[in-house]
Formats: sequence, structure tokens, C-alpha cells
Amino acid sequence: MTVPAAIAACSVSKSFGGVRALTKASFAADSGSVHALVGENGAGKSTLIKILGGRIAPDEGEVLADPALRIGIVFQELTLLPYMRVADNLLLGREPRSHLGLIDRAAMPGLAERSLAELGITHIDPRALAADISLAERQIVEIARVILASPGILLLDEPTSALVEREVAWLFARIRALRAAGTAIVFTSHRWAEIAAIADRITIFRNGSDVGSFDSIDETEAITLMTGRRLEALFPARPPAPDGAPALELAGARAAGTAQLDLALHPGEILGVGGLAGHGHRALFFGLFGAPGFIEGALRVAGKPRRIRTPRDAIRAGIALVPEDRKSEGLFLPLKVRDNLTLPILRRLSRLGAIDLGAERRIASDTIARLAIRTPSAAQPVGALSGGNQQKVLLGRWLLTKARILLLYDVTRGVDVATKHEIYELVVRLAREGYAILFYSSDAEELAHLCRRVLVMRRGAIVADLPAEQLSAEAIVSAAMREAADAA
Amino acid sequence: MDQDATRRKVIAGLTAGLGVASLPRTGFAAGRKLKIALSNSYIGNEWRIEMENLFKAALQMEPYKSQVEGSWFNSGNNVSQESQQISGMIAERMDAILVDSASPTGLNGIIQQAHARGILVISFDNVVTTPAAIKVNTDQVKFGETLAAWLARKLDGKGNVIMVTGVAGTTVNEDRNKGADMVWRKHPGIKVVNRYAGNWDSATAEKNTAAILPSLPKIDGIWCQGGTDGVLKAFIAAKRTPLPPTAGEAENGFRKFMLGYMGQKVDGLSIGQPPYLVLVALELARRILHKTYPRRDITIPFPFVTDATVKVGETVFPHLPDSFFTDFTDSGPHAVVKICVDAATKGTPCPGRLTVHLPKA
Amino acid sequence: MPPETSSLTLPRGSRLGHTIAQNIGLILAGSILLLAILGFVLIYALEQHRLPGNFELTSTVNSAMPLVFAAVGQSFVVLTKGIDLSVGGVVDLANAMAAVTMGKTLGSALLWSVVILFVGAACGLLNGLLVGLGRLQPIVVTLGTLSIFQGLAIRVLPQPGGAIPPSFTDLLVNPNAPYALIFIVLLGLGWAAFRRSRPGVDLYAIGNDEAASRTLGVNVLRTKIIAYMLDGLLAAAAGLFLAASATAGDATTGDSYTLTSIVAVVLGGVSLFGGRGSAIGAIAGALITTLIVDILFFGHVDPLFQSFYEGVFLLIAVVAGGVIGGAIRRRR
Repeated sequence: MTVPAAIAACSVSKSFGGVRALTKASFAADSGSVHALVGENGAGKSTLIKILGGRIAPDEGEVLADPALRIGIVFQELTLLPYMRVADNLLLGREPRSHLGLIDRAAMPGLAERSLAELGITHIDPRALAADISLAERQIVEIARVILASPGILLLDEPTSALVEREVAWLFARIRALRAAGTAIVFTSHRWAEIAAIADRITIFRNGSDVGSFDSIDETEAITLMTGRRLEALFPARPPAPDGAPALELAGARAAGTAQLDLALHPGEILGVGGLAGHGHRALFFGLFGAPGFIEGALRVAGKPRRIRTPRDAIRAGIALVPEDRKSEGLFLPLKVRDNLTLPILRRLSRLGAIDLGAERRIASDTIARLAIRTPSAAQPVGALSGGNQQKVLLGRWLLTKARILLLYDVTRGVDVATKHEIYELVVRLAREGYAILFYSSDAEELAHLCRRVLVMRRGAIVADLPAEQLSAEAIVSAAMREAADAA
Repeated sequence: MDQDATRRKVIAGLTAGLGVASLPRTGFAAGRKLKIALSNSYIGNEWRIEMENLFKAALQMEPYKSQVEGSWFNSGNNVSQESQQISGMIAERMDAILVDSASPTGLNGIIQQAHARGILVISFDNVVTTPAAIKVNTDQVKFGETLAAWLARKLDGKGNVIMVTGVAGTTVNEDRNKGADMVWRKHPGIKVVNRYAGNWDSATAEKNTAAILPSLPKIDGIWCQGGTDGVLKAFIAAKRTPLPPTAGEAENGFRKFMLGYMGQKVDGLSIGQPPYLVLVALELARRILHKTYPRRDITIPFPFVTDATVKVGETVFPHLPDSFFTDFTDSGPHAVVKICVDAATKGTPCPGRLTVHLPKA
Repeated sequence: MPPETSSLTLPRGSRLGHTIAQNIGLILAGSILLLAILGFVLIYALEQHRLPGNFELTSTVNSAMPLVFAAVGQSFVVLTKGIDLSVGGVVDLANAMAAVTMGKTLGSALLWSVVILFVGAACGLLNGLLVGLGRLQPIVVTLGTLSIFQGLAIRVLPQPGGAIPPSFTDLLVNPNAPYALIFIVLLGLGWAAFRRSRPGVDLYAIGNDEAASRTLGVNVLRTKIIAYMLDGLLAAAAGLFLAASATAGDATTGDSYTLTSIVAVVLGGVSLFGGRGSAIGAIAGALITTLIVDILFFGHVDPLFQSFYEGVFLLIAVVAGGVIGGAIRRRR
């Protein structure tokens, strides 16, 4: 390389408690270009980003960075301080001072507002607490905070995982502007379309090492390099069309913030729900699971009218929910995989109040095998697993209960390609076994390939019911956006 | 009443404003009751309960029934809270405040303020150090000394003795130990083989004694500030019987042992800090406010009982619990005060008039 | 790509709404304080047939002073998601030292006050180092140091006694007029300035999320040490006020401030989970705690039930705070 890179890692290695995260990985990013790091979860991308940012030291190898350039990092885990204002978070460490030398708290929202506006963000109130804004907004604030420090090197670890299309477009506009201004940008994502759209150069990681850098590479080839095997088809064949009486019916039911909804979900069916984020999907899914529930209309489970006011009611009705944010909604991260799996059925496993540990072990290992949960042992804390495998643990837990209706809410968000594939296969298999599955995804491609029917929601209402023959990612997205397009 | 209040307001204002120590009070108009409040630092043990009951009973007996309007407050052994309650009493314009204090010094400030506003403050039992309060108490050095002297005589001046002490850091504890040590010095034949805290509590004394007893040689005598029945029970549990002569507090349980209890009979001397100190304080307040007694501190003698003088129904009560303090009333011809047992256990009045003999003025 | 997609616009909530929602703990504490004052005046007037005057105001303020200082100190540590059980021990130590050292003149009293405040800060430093450097749990560390400080206090003043110069008493807790309110105002101003300093912001940051703060470049160790030192210093100040009102020392009278300072902090709307609340709330909480004693006194509540009612008031206040705060946040 003739021009020295803005930042480079030279055969760095890093282990965490005996587990190798990086093995002699090398990587270099230039100023004025966007460099994408791709690989499965656990391939070492996040570790490399932390090493590049100087947050952790490599065991071997070294990092060379242009000392004149300030490094900004957006971490995969959000670092916003929840009970401080957005303005406090944005300006932390760079607060304006009054003439007394004290921090001018009153001036901060105004300053933050102007700074955000310069970045094209006017929908986030700098006076709000970080805890009170949505996940996507928090992600944007996180990104904005780093950009506002005008870094010469910008490291973004999965910045788009919580963002919807519009917000991704905003982020890419910012990235392009920064690139034009000469910033070196390193970026990781699981969404191939994003990588293809923005990356000037792509480095692929597998098992803690770089396996190749390219100016352009097509998806199939990239996936082959990432996984070390060729994925013949990412999506398995759809399950057969269902027949028989619906497992779950809604007739004119209204969840918090939605219009009246009608739907019928049959055993053996994967009924897709699509549309842009923030259009009532969450209210529908969480409402069905007993969160601030349905306020009117009829809800029938297996033909019988039911009231679902609390998650306990939902569980009794055989309904299970796997949310996208598994950390805050379902798993006990420090506990063992086994404990997480068997928690709801402990009573069943107990003899005279004592847990039958042998039975518990057996059931846990059966489930781990059945769902192909990748964990060294059933005694591993769930927090140590990758996101996709955590998702499987949560799903496995529900399968151990008597749930027959599965609400899968964007379960593949932030999950790497190989694990996604496993989840798709699992979902299809469950449908074949007769589970009724309501499947929301922010990825239209997924819906188009897994479902025979997709309901598209907009502004809290079901605005399209796309049958198998009309299904395509484009059809779903255009149904979701039609009104917006009409208005424009 | 209004006139009187106005006048006292003026006096209070003057005294506060000028910082004058106190102004003489004029006599009280006939028919107006004296407002006397009891500030009790806590009500967490039998002694304090009896003390408060005696106060309540006295308020329902003549002469207090017609002359005194009484009230009482507890503060959970919290000095700041007791101090705050006393300032409330100042605001309520009490004529006198009787204080059993949570701290010898912690209330000095507020008591000085009460004094400056012309309120009579009488401190008893756990007394305060400020001269602004009149003190009513027993002589704690004498307590320790009397117990030790009796024991020394009983043992003919030689033998192994244990000392079960009170709550460390309190003046009462130090004084009692000091009195005992004075006696031991005069009797070189007496060896204090151990000295440990019983915290004036039967359960603590029993537990600590049980823990320490196996390491001790033969014990010839017990000197105990409080929790005496607990100490004796530990001796019985450890099969250290017959029980050695014991000089201790006025717990009912201890006195039961003097009669014969749990198959053992003990020779003993029982002295107590009498709960009727509150009655002495009350009488003193009444007399000073009526100007029939000078403002001065009073030390009253201990009521004491030995295995020879103990008397069922008067100084020992077999049907009452071991923890009951039997010295709620004095006995004998020169008794300071005599009152019935219901006054101490229930706070109900006894028949007749209550007479408290203050030392000659 | 169309230009409008690079900017994001949507409606949002009102300014006042934010201010109320974000300071709900403080607003509730203030309201409870107002209610307590009204309740006190009402009960006083009913029982005494007159309104409370200068003496009542002065004695209430003076009684509250040690707790006000201890509670503000406690709030620093609680904001870092810690808790300081050693407050009572530091109050004891300061109280004991004051009684032993101060002598007869105001000059020597003031000089020794400075020394005692330093000793308090040193006690805090010890806590801060153990918690920050040793990465130990604050509740365990301060439970241990509580005993150590109490032991030191007893060593300094084995038996209650000593003396405080009357001039010092008049300066801190003047019995004739509520001059001590000045100290409360100064404390409030000091807090407002601290809140607007680097350590003040960092204090909230680590209380919110210690790991994230570290990632964001906040000096966690330094901030914790500052918090514990200020806490120790203010606890020592509480000890000085206590000694001044008693006019003498007692090495055990400060013990109760460990619990009451936590009560005051909670009543003042400071979250024990850290990162939320304010020392101003703690001041209000301390005044409420003090007023409750007065209300029960003048209400002639049976002394045996006083602690029962104190507990009931505390629970009502905390539950009401949680419910109202939650309702307001949900509404938005």
C-alpha cells in the first residue's frame, strides 16, 4: 500500500478466558472510504472494532492509527445513559460552560437541538430522557453523539440493527457526507443490501481471521466465504398450505393504538406480518401476549372466546411470544441455558417440591439438540451465546410449554446469516409439526420466502393481504409505502 | 389562663432575648393544673415500662390527680428525636419536664433552652450533665460498692469472683464498676477471675455467661449489675451448682432464686435502680413549682433485699415473670414511696393517696 | 435517493411536560414537604389554639440541621448507585472530636471544625477507595467502616462529655432565630454548582450506567471518590451541628443518622437504583422526616405507636411517589 492507511490492525490476536476471538487478523481502512466488515456473529468483528478503538488491548499484534485522527466508535450495545436527557447524552464531556465556569445546563437542549438539526435530525427532542425515546431513536442519538465529535476515523458496529429503512437512509447520507469530508469509516452489518449500497471495500471475517478483502463481491460468494460452506438456499421450502379450523382468530379486535383487526391463523401456517416499523405490529404482537391488551372485539383461540389481559392469560391460552429484544424481554442472561429453558416447566419437573435434576438435564439437552442451539454446554450462561442462539433458547423454552401458537416478532434482527438459515429451517419445521406461527419481520425478503400469506400493516391497520402468488419483497414494501407514495 | 399565658410569653421572650438564666416564677393560681411532661428516651425494656406505668398510675392518684395535667413521650432511644420532643414540650409551655435521657450530653442544648424559658427540667435515672436540669438519682458508685461489700463479707474476704457488667460507655456502668473496684482493693484475697458484659439484660447475660463459664475455675461469688437471673440460669445449665452467693439487681427471677427456684436456692443481695425514681421526680417538680421545696438535686437510697428479708407479695412475686423489676416500690419503715403492684404492671391507680417522701429540705 | 430521506422529522412533547416528568421525584418531595408543613401548622393550631411562631420555626430548623447535612451527603453516594451505612459513624466521630477539641473560644472551635471536616472527608476517602479501587459492594464496605468509625469515636470520647463553646452553638444553631436556614440555602447553592461541574455530571452518568460511562470516558474511580469524600465531609458537618445543638459530645448519638439519612433521601425522591434525584430533594426529605416527629408530638399520638406511624408515612410517601411518577411517565 502506497498511501498509509488511516487505521490498520496487523495480525492481532485476542482471547477471552481461553476462547479465541481473533487469530492473527489484519485489516486496514483508508481515509475517505467506507470499509465494511462482514462475517457471522462470533467471527470477531466486534472484538476487532474494540481493539481498533483502543478499548481493549490485543494479546498479540498491533494497531497503527494516524495519531492526528480522532477515533469515534458506535458500539453494538447502546451506551446512552437512560435517566439523563438526550442533550446530556449528546454533549457528555463537551458541555457548554457559563461565564462562571459552570456547565450551562439550560443552554444544552438548544445547543443539542442545533447540533442534531445540522445532522438532519429534528424528530428527537433533546429535552426528553434517553429512556423515554424509542430504541431506534436511541441508536440515532448514539450515532449522532459520535459524529458530532467530528472523528477522523469512525467505527460503527452494527449501527443499523435497530433502524428502519428511512433511518438507514439518513445514516447512509451522513456516512457519505463524512466520506466526502475524508473520514475513514469502518462499518459492520448483517444486511447484505446495506453493505452493497455503501461499502467501498469489504473485508470478510471467519472464525476470528480475515479471509479476504474485496472492492466488490456478490452475496453468494461472500456468504460462502463467511460460513466456509456454500449455502445452497438461504430459505427452506415453504410448509404446505394449511387446512382445518383456525387456531387463533381476531374479529374487529383493537389493540392499543391499532385499528380494528381481523385475522385468522391456522395450525401449520406461517402467517407473515409486514410493514414499516412503528405501524402497529408491536401493539398487535404484544397485545396478543397480554401486554396492554385488546380493548374491544373478539379474540378466539381454537374456536373458543378468550380474554387475554396478562402474559399469564396468554400462556394459559397456549400463546408464546419471542420478541426481538431478547435481552430485556425474556431471558435471564447470567443464568445457565438449562435454567432458562426449564424455568416455566419447573413445576412439572418437581416431585414433592424438589426439582428432578436428572429430568431437567435430559429435557434441556434434548431441546438443545432439537433446536441446534450452539452452546458448549447446557451450563453456559445464556448471556455468552450469540444473539441467534439466545433467540433459539427463548423459542425452545416456549416449545417445552404447551404453547401451540407462536408469535415470532422480528426474531432474526441482528442475527448472522448462518444462524438465520437455521432459524428459518426451524420455523418451517415447527409449522410442519402443526404449530400456528404469526411471523413479523422487518426484512421483507424473509416474509416473501417463508410465508404463504403476508398481512401488511400501515398506521395500525391491515392494508393488504398478499397471497402466495403475489408475494415478493417488492410487493410487501410497496404495499407498506403506498400511502406515503400517494401523499408525496 | 389567657392572662397567665400572656405573662409567661413575656417572660419567655425576655429570658430568651436577654439570655438570662432564669426568672423567678410567681405562684400558681389555685385550681390551675401544673403541666408536667415525661420524656422517656425509650420503652424497650421492662424497667422503662414499669417506670412509665408508675407515672401514669400516679397521675390518677391524689394529690397529682387534681394538681397535675401529665403527658408522656418516648423517642425510640434516638437523641435527636428526644431533643425535638422536648422542644415540642417547650412550645406546649410545660411547667416542668421530667427526662430519662438517651444521652448524658445530647440533650444539654435543648434543656438549657427550656431552662432559659423558665421551664423546670428534672432529669432522673439516665441523668444529663447540664446544670440547667435538677437531678434525681441513686448513687451508682454506692450501688457497686454495696454489692461488692456484701459479697466480700459473705466470702470472708477471699475467693474467686466474676463481674457481669452493664452497657459499655455508659456512666452508670463505669460508676458501678468503680464502686466495686474500690471494695476489691480493700480485699486482696478476692480475685476477680473474669469481667464481661451482660448489658443489663437477662438473655445477654445468660448467653455470655454460658459462653465463658467453661473456661473459668470454681466461682465463689457473683457480682452482677443486671440480668442476674440469666447468669444464675447459665450456672444451672452448666451444672455449676450449688449456686455461689450472688450480689445482683432487682429482677424478680433473681429474688425467686432467693426463695428457692429451679431446684436451687441462692444466698444473695438484691439492689435495684428503682423505677419509682420517676415518682420522686414528679413529687419534686410538684413541690418546687408550689414553692414548698428548694431547687436542688436529690439522691435517694437504694431499696435492698437479702435472702433473709425477701417477702412474697411485697418484694418478690412468684406469679410474675422473671424479668419483672421488683423494686417498683420501696419497703420497710423508712420507705421513700409505697405503691401497689398493679400500678407497675398495668399503670392503674392504687387505693388511697400517694405519698412520696423527699429527703428533708 | 430522495433528499427528504436524509432528514427525520416528527412531532414531539412539550417542554413543560419534560420538566415535570424529569423532576417528578423532586416535585413530589416538595409537595409532601408543603403538606407536612401545613399538617404541622394545622395540628399545632388545633392543639395549642395559636399559630407556631419563631420558637417553633427555630427549633424545627435547628433539629433538622444534622439530618439535612447527613441526607445531602448520603444523596451523593446514592446517586452513584451506592449506599453509605457509615454516615452514623462519621457523625459520631465528628461529634466526639468536636466535644473533645473545641475548647472555649470561637476561634479554636472554627479551627477544629475545619480539621474535623477534613477527618470526615478522609473517612469518605477510605470508603471511596474501597468501593472504587477495591470494586467492593458499597453496602458491605460501609457496614464495615461504620463499626470502625464508631469504634474510633468511642476511643476519642469514651464517655459522654466535653464541651462546645456557646458562641459556636449560636453560630450554627442559634436558639433565638432560624439563622440556620442560611446553611440550608448555602447547601442548596453548593449543590446547584456541583451539579454543573464535571464531577457533578459524571456522578449522574455512573449512577445511570457505570459500564457505559466508563466506555464514554468518564473517570469512574475519581467520581466515586469525590462522591464518598463529599459524603464524609457533610456527615462530619452533621456531627458538628449535632454537637453544637447538644452543647456537648456523645460518641453514640450519631448512630441513628445512618438510617434516617437513607429515609430522607428516599422521601426526597432520590432513587436507590442511582442516577435519578437530587440533593435538593434530600434536603426536603430531611425536613419532612423532622416534621413528622413534630406532627406526631403535637398530634399527641400514643408514644408506643410513633415508630409505627413514621413507618406508615414513609411507605405511603414512597408508594405514592412510585405510582404518581409512573403514571406521569406513562401518560407521556
